[in-house]
Amino acid sequence: MSTQLAAPRRTGGPLRLGRRGIGLAPLAWIAIALYVAFLIYPIIQSVITSFTDRNPLKPASSFVGFANYLELFQDQRLLRSLGFTLVVVVFVTIVANAFGLMFAMLLNRSTLNYRAMRTLVFIPQVLSGVIVAFIWRSILTQNGLLNVTLQNLGLTDAAVSWIGTPELATLSICVVVSWMTIAFSTVVYTASLQSVPAELYEAARVDGAGAFSRFRNVTFPMIAPGVTISVTLGLITTLKLYDVIAVLTGGGPANSTKSVAFYLIDVAFTSNRFGYASAIAIFLLGLTAVIAYGTTGLLRRREAHL
Amino acid sequence: MSTETTVASAASAASAASAASTDPSASEATVIARTFEDPAPTRGVRAVGARGSARRRARNGGRLLAAWLVTLAFVLPIYLALSSAFKSQEQILANPLGLPAPFTLDNIVTALDRPDHLVQAGLLNSVVVTLLTLVLLIPLASAVSFWISERTPVLRGILLAVFALGLMVPPQVVLQPIVSLLHAVGLQNSYPGLILSNIGGGYMSFAVFVYVGFLRTVPREVIEAARVDGAGELRIWWTIVMPLVRPATATVGIFLGLWVWNDFLNPLFILGPLQGQTITTGIYQSLGTYSTDYGQLFGIMFLAAIIPVVGYLVTQREFIHGLMSGASKG
Repeated sequence: MSTQLAAPRRTGGPLRLGRRGIGLAPLAWIAIALYVAFLIYPIIQSVITSFTDRNPLKPASSFVGFANYLELFQDQRLLRSLGFTLVVVVFVTIVANAFGLMFAMLLNRSTLNYRAMRTLVFIPQVLSGVIVAFIWRSILTQNGLLNVTLQNLGLTDAAVSWIGTPELATLSICVVVSWMTIAFSTVVYTASLQSVPAELYEAARVDGAGAFSRFRNVTFPMIAPGVTISVTLGLITTLKLYDVIAVLTGGGPANSTKSVAFYLIDVAFTSNRFGYASAIAIFLLGLTAVIAYGTTGLLRRREAHL
Repeated sequence: MSTETTVASAASAASAASAASTDPSASEATVIARTFEDPAPTRGVRAVGARGSARRRARNGGRLLAAWLVTLAFVLPIYLALSSAFKSQEQILANPLGLPAPFTLDNIVTALDRPDHLVQAGLLNSVVVTLLTLVLLIPLASAVSFWISERTPVLRGILLAVFALGLMVPPQVVLQPIVSLLHAVGLQNSYPGLILSNIGGGYMSFAVFVYVGFLRTVPREVIEAARVDGAGELRIWWTIVMPLVRPATATVGIFLGLWVWNDFLNPLFILGPLQGQTITTGIYQSLGTYSTDYGQLFGIMFLAAIIPVVGYLVTQREFIHGLMSGASKG
C-alpha cells in the first residue's frame, strides 16, 4: 500500500513545483515544530536532566552520572509506589475487561431498552476523573453516603474507613478506576461484538454448537483485536493515573496510594528535585513502553494464531 | 489519569495500532457505527426465532430484567450525584438513594451565586481553552497528516514512528520540562502556554493517527485529478482533502474536545494555582472545603458535568464510530 501511495507522486515531476506555490510544507513544519517542542524535546530534556542534580532553588546544577538511577532502586517510597501501581494495573485490567465483556454481551441487543442501557453504561467515560473521584469520595469518605446508608440500614455500628486505611484505600482506588475503565472496555467490546458477522453464529448453530461453544469458537476469536485494544489502552491509562488519586486519597494514608506517576509529580513539584524526578520520569516511560509493547506483542501473537 | 485519558490513549493507541499494522477502511468503520446505532440486521434472525416460543419470551424478559439491574447498579454513583444535586443536605444524609422530592434548585442557585464565580469562570475558561486548542490543532494535524501521507514510504515511516511515541508517553513524564520551557519563553501560568502545550503534546499524535488512517481510504485519483488540474497542495488540502476527511475531523474534535475539557494535570501545573482555572481544576481547588456539604458539592458538579454529558448524548453515534474507526480491525 505504501508503494501505491508514493508512485503517483513521482510522475508529477519537478515541473509543477512552480505552480504549487508555497504549498503545505509551512503548516506541516509548524505542526512538527510544536510537537518537537512539547513532546520530543521534553523527553530529551528529561533524559539529560536525569543525569544531573538540577534543582530550581539552586543556581547551578552539576552532572552526577547515574546517581539518580542508583537512588531509584533504594528509594523505599518509589518501590512502594511501584508496588501500588502494579496492584492497581493488574486489578483494573482483569476486572475492567471481565466486566466490560460481560456488559457488552449482556447489552448486545438492538431494542430500545438495550440501547438505553448502553448509553447509560458509557457515561462514566465522559466524566472527568476529578468529577468521578469527587462523586466516589462523597460515597466512600468517613461520614460518606456509603457509611450513612449502611448505618441507616443497621448493617454497621461504626463507620468503615474506606479511604482511611492503606489496604481499603488501595482497594477503593482499584474499584473506582475499574468503574471508569469498565465503561471504556464495554464500548470496545460492544463494537467488536457487532462486527462479528451473524452468519458465523448461524453456521455454528446449524452445526449444533451450544452457547458456550459458540462463545469459545466464534465470539472469542472474533473479538481478539478488541481484547488487545482494551487491555493495552487500559494499562497505559492506569499507569498515568493522577486525578482520581489526587481527589480521592491525595496519595494517602501514609503514602499508600501514591502511584509512580503521582510520586513523580511529588518529587518534581513538591520536593523540587528535577534531576531525580527526571530519572523517575524516564523509569516510568520505560515501564510504560515495556508493559504496552509487551502486552500488545503477546495479545497480537494470540490474534495471529486464530 | 482518568476516564477521558483512558479514551484518549485508548483511541490513540488503537489508531496507532491500526496505522501500524492494517488499513482501517472507512466503509468498515461506517458499518460498525451503523450497527452500533441499530444492530437490527444482525439480530433480526434471532428476534424472529424468539417470537415463536413463550419460553424464549420469558427468558428474554428475564434477561432484560437482569440487564437493567446490572446496569442500574453500575450507574448508581451517577444517579446519586444527579439526584443529590436537587436535594437538600438533610434529604441526602437521611436517604442518599431517595428521589429528589421535594425537588430543590437551591444547590444550583447557590453554586451560580458564589462570589468567586467558580462555575461561570471555570466553564468560560474551559470553553475558550478547548475551542482554541481544537481550532488550531485540527488544521495543523490534518495538514501535517496529508503532508506525511504524500512523503516517501521511508520518511513516512519515520515520521509516523515519531508521532506514535506521543500516544504512549505519560503526561507526567514531560510535564516538568514543558513548564520550564514555557517559563523560558515567558508563557508560564498563561492560557496561551496551556493551549500551545495542548497542541504540541500527545493530542497531536492522536489527531495525526486518526487523519493518516483515514487518508488511506481517500481515493488517490481525486487528489491526482486536482493536481493535474494545477491546484496547489495548500488548495488541494483545504478544498478537497478537508471535506473528504470530515468524519475523521468529527472523531478528532469529539475526542480531543472531551480530553482537553476534562484534562486536569496540564491546567493544574501549567496555569498554576494563582491564575484563572478551568472548570476541572477549579472544582479540585475549591471543593476540598465542601467535602461534607453534599448539596453544594453535587450542585457544582452537576453544572460542571452537564456540558460533556449532553455533548456525549448528542454525538453518541460519532463517539462510538470514532472510537472504532481506528480500532476496527486492531
